[in-house]
Parts: sequence; structure tokens; C-alpha cells
Amino acid sequence: MKQLLKKEFLLSVHPASYLFLLLSPMLLIPNYPYYVVFFYTSLGVFFTCLNGRENNDVFYSAMLPIAKRDIVKARFVSTILMEAAQFLTAVPFAVIRQKMPIPGNQAGMDANIALFGLSLAMMGLFNLLFFCLYYASITKVGKAFGIASFGIALYMLAAETCDHVVPFFRDCLDTPDPQFLAEKLTVLLFGLLCFFLCTATAYRKSVRSFGALDL
Amino acid sequence: MFPLEVRSLSKTYPSFRLKSVSFSLEAGKITGFIGRNGAGKSTTLKSLFNLVHPESGTVRFFGENFTEHEISIKCRVGFVAGGTDYYPRKPLHTITGVTKLFYHDWDDGDYRKYITQFGLDESKTPSQLSTGMKVKYALALALSHHAELLILDEPTSGLDPVSRDELLDLFMELSRKGTTVLFSTHITSDLDKCADNILYIKDGAILAESTLPAFSGSYRLTEVAGDTLPPALKKKAAGLRRTKDGYSVLLQTADTPSLAVETNPASLEEIMIHLERGVNA
Repeated sequence: MKQLLKKEFLLSVHPASYLFLLLSPMLLIPNYPYYVVFFYTSLGVFFTCLNGRENNDVFYSAMLPIAKRDIVKARFVSTILMEAAQFLTAVPFAVIRQKMPIPGNQAGMDANIALFGLSLAMMGLFNLLFFCLYYASITKVGKAFGIASFGIALYMLAAETCDHVVPFFRDCLDTPDPQFLAEKLTVLLFGLLCFFLCTATAYRKSVRSFGALDL
Repeated sequence: MFPLEVRSLSKTYPSFRLKSVSFSLEAGKITGFIGRNGAGKSTTLKSLFNLVHPESGTVRFFGENFTEHEISIKCRVGFVAGGTDYYPRKPLHTITGVTKLFYHDWDDGDYRKYITQFGLDESKTPSQLSTGMKVKYALALALSHHAELLILDEPTSGLDPVSRDELLDLFMELSRKGTTVLFSTHITSDLDKCADNILYIKDGAILAESTLPAFSGSYRLTEVAGDTLPPALKKKAAGLRRTKDGYSVLLQTADTPSLAVETNPASLEEIMIHLERGVNA
């Protein structure tokens, strides 16, 4: 796996994916739908897979002395690492945003613990939708991304709407930390669980589809 | 034990069918895999590595089943599909640096030797290489992990005559050192120069598997002037084609004594053209 990850980061991962990590400071924008920061991570995954199609990445990988399932595993691990990097680089900016002498985010959820939990669930949803479709037909990257991004756009819309109309979101989750810490940590845990469940399901399904795919 | 043994490989697409393909390769020999475009050469080669999934059949490399020993077999085999068409914008040294991580018997000394021999500049990217240089780079990678069997899909396609000749010389040199080579092509003159054996595929089925002299020797050509072909000749013809003055007829050598016609040896190209054209010219 170490070799495969080296291959992923030296040959496969699109350079824009690294640049998207620099978008974490968007959490400092006073009023903004902060979920968008994590959407960019998904865009990086799409660019990597699109780039892979144009560069014959799958064919190169398939001819290496590795099992076919390891090609999928490497892509999942590199994606999870990029998503984790986005998550971690966003944390300090969320802390700074909370200390800024201005009111909380008026456009949607504050940059707080709950936002990270809900964003984790969103990234898990993206992984589930995108990879299941992508590994069923690796040439149709655009279709996979179109459907997956529509899915997470609906998720963002629903989450931000809840933030305005659902009392638990509005009064409890959309507050500065450490208010309602237990509730927010529960949401973070829920997000983490969703992320791992969705990603694990996507991985199992992707291995099966990719194994049966004619290249 | 054969370096490669294929038995009853079948695969069905909506518009094409690979029909129970069977063949084996002789160790240390060069085998030319010929057939016209769309005959099934690439599908067969991809099926060997499970890149496409055959519905039935077995593939054994060095006596071992591919699906059970995929990783160890891939270490002993080099598959070159038309040169280096991956990562066109990455420098060769980056691609090599990653590739070698996967081969436990990678030999940097050999790699340097081949890079120098082929005149490759490692700071270049595949997109900056000519078609011939791309094939040579792919070969350098395969040879540096001591591939005992090289399988190449149309390696000479798109090469100028000089580059093609250089590549064929390289195949012969490798063969002399004991490497088994299987390469697909529709350029029959390549095979006249270097092939020991011929594998001929037509419409998804293996039409011939033999040594080159035996295959060429099994056919003769005769020319017939005029618009009418004698029925006896037409009945025995393996292939026909119109010429300026009449017909060119391909016959099985075994049939020629009974026909009492003057015949000439047939080149591989003439055999292939006649067989592909059939008997309805």
C-alpha cells in the first residue's frame, strides 16, 4: 500500500486537489455557506479521476504486479487522506472565525463543531455516490460527478434550510462553541460514523464493480 | 512448460466474438500475432491479463494459472500496449521512480543500460517522445524487471521504416538472450524479418498456429489471365483477388499437384490478403 500511495500522490492526484486545501480560509468569510469549503475537496477527487482517465492511470495501474482491488483501495485511501487534510486545515480557521469580533454566520451554519460533523457526513455521501458510479464505468467520470455533486448540493440545501427553520439546528447547533457542546459533539460523532459507513460501503461496492469491469 | 498457454478463450461483445481461442508460445521464440484490424488481437491480449473478462477459457503463464498467481506472473511478464500512453506530462524519471517500487527484482543497472542504449532522455515526458521512443521506454521498463516474456500490442504501428527495423533488431537480440516475445501486428513484413512462429487470427478465431516457414510453405499462388476462373481452381482456392489482367489465386500447397497449374511461393502479406478477401472476388 505504501508504494501505491506514493504512486497516487506522485502520478495520479491532480495538483488542483492540493490547491483546494488552501481554500480552508474561506471559513473566515463573515457570511457564507461554509459547506462549500468541503465541496472543493470533492471537486479535487473528480479532477483526479478525470485526470486518471486522460492519463490512462487505470491501465498503468492494472499492469503493475498488484491485485485489482488494491487500485481501488489506494484511490480510497488517498481520497480519505485529502478529505482529512481539508478537515484539519479548516479547523484553525474555524477557531479564528469564532474569535472574530463580528456576529456569527448569517448565511448558514456557524464555523463550529457541528459544521464539521455535518460536513463529514456530506463527504461520506459524496464518496458513496461518486465512487459507486465511477467504478461501475470509469470512463463516465463526468456523469458520476454530476450525480454525486447534485446529491451533496441537495444535502447542503437541506442542511442550511434546517439551520433556518428547525429549532434544534437554529438554536442549538448554530451557536458559537462551546455552547451546547454535548449536542455538537454528538453531531460530530454522527458525521464521523456516516462518513465511515458510507465510505466503507462505497469501497466494497467499488471493488466488486471494478473487479468485473472490462478495461 | 510453455511461457504462455491459452485454452478455449471466449468473449462475446454485441458486435464481436472471440471464438474459443487456443495457442501456446515456445520459449525464447518470437511469435507474430497477425490479423486485420478488428480481428480480435487486442481483445485476446487484454484477456490474457484479465483486463477484459473472458466468459470461458484458461490462461497459464509459465505453467501457472493467471487468476491464482496474478502478481508473481506480472513480475515475470512485460505487457506493452502501443508504447507509453500513460501520464504524458510526467517526466520519465518520475514514472520510472514509481514503477520500480513495485518490482522486487528491479535492476537499476539494466535500466541505465537500456536508457543509454535507446538514447532516452529521462527529463522528457512521454508527450515529447516519438512513437518509437515511447515503445522503447516501455520496453526499458519491462526489461529492467527482467521480464521473461514480452507481450506487445501493435508495437511497430505508426513507426517509420528505420525505427521499425531497429525495434525488430531489438526483438531478435532479446530472443537470442532467451526472452520470449509475442507481438501483434498487421504489418506482415515485420514478421518476415524476425518471427519464428505465426499466430493468425481471423474474425475472432485462430486460423493458423505454426512456424513461419511452415505457414508460408503451406500456400502457393497462381495467376490466371482473363475474366473467367476455371471451376476446379475456384473450388480449391483458399483466397482470390482480382488483378489487372485476371485473378490471383491462393492455393493450399497440398492441392497444387492435382490442379496442374504453375504456382509461385506466396509471401505472408499475399497469404493474409487472399485469406481475408475470401473466395468471392
